[in-house]
Amino acid sequence: MQSELLVLFFVLGLILSGGAIVFSYFIMPHSFNATKVEAYECGIPSKNNSWSQFNVGYYLFALIYLVFDVEIVFIFPWGEVLKEVGKPALVEILIFFFVLALGLAYAWKKKALKWE
Amino acid sequence: MNFHETFFILLAAIIMIFSVLVVTTDKILRAATYLLFVLLATAGLYYWLQYEFMAAVQVALYAGGIVVLIVFSVLLTHQIHHKLVSITLTRKLLAFGIAGLGALVSIVTIVNYDFNTAPAEAMKVDVRQIGLHLVNTGHNGFALPFEVVSILLLAALIGAITIAKKEESNSDNI
Repeated sequence: MQSELLVLFFVLGLILSGGAIVFSYFIMPHSFNATKVEAYECGIPSKNNSWSQFNVGYYLFALIYLVFDVEIVFIFPWGEVLKEVGKPALVEILIFFFVLALGLAYAWKKKALKWE
Repeated sequence: MNFHETFFILLAAIIMIFSVLVVTTDKILRAATYLLFVLLATAGLYYWLQYEFMAAVQVALYAGGIVVLIVFSVLLTHQIHHKLVSITLTRKLLAFGIAGLGALVSIVTIVNYDFNTAPAEAMKVDVRQIGLHLVNTGHNGFALPFEVVSILLLAALIGAITIAKKEESNSDNI
């Protein structure tokens, strides 16, 4: 394991990106007015707080995404040994996919994939 | 102190600092963001233990999936701009006392425990080994649990849709 390289990469990334911000902070002209903190500096003045309730659709999509995210976790190790194991692995993943396709079909039928 | 130990202490420090921040911050969205850092540092800990696959899963599932879900559910609520009510001093003291007691019990147990190193060689846990066990139908195989997982995911998907999706009849008042 070459975690030294990983740490070096992390530290270098931190220096490069953080250094740019720190450097620009020192050379930028410091001035302040109220317009600068608005969400759109040169647009229609914003009316109220940006904290508002979001569409419930986002939550549904996040839930569906999470299910397929878990699925990916199982597919990666399977893909690693597919060539080695051959047919049994293929049959197993087809059953796996079939069951999950049922779920996707259910989501489709219930119009959960439709944005409203 | 070598590099290995330094790495662990660094990760443990990140986890501890951000864990405390998660429960002490008074803005709920910030708590979710601090939780993200905790989960990422935990992924680093898995990497440190040479469980590379577990680290990847931790990043993809917990940092990528669960935190997104938490952020969405936070944004769905009405009162996200409300600040948390401040906690009374008695409660704080009580919490500190209980936490301290828990820490004491853990530390005493760890110090008194006689750690023996197992003579057997450590099992290799890489993606290939996991995959081989996952598709193996014979002894030590997990082919059936692998298929059952798909049923579990199906149940989770249907449950999620049933709970989060409004019925057709009252969908016009979203």
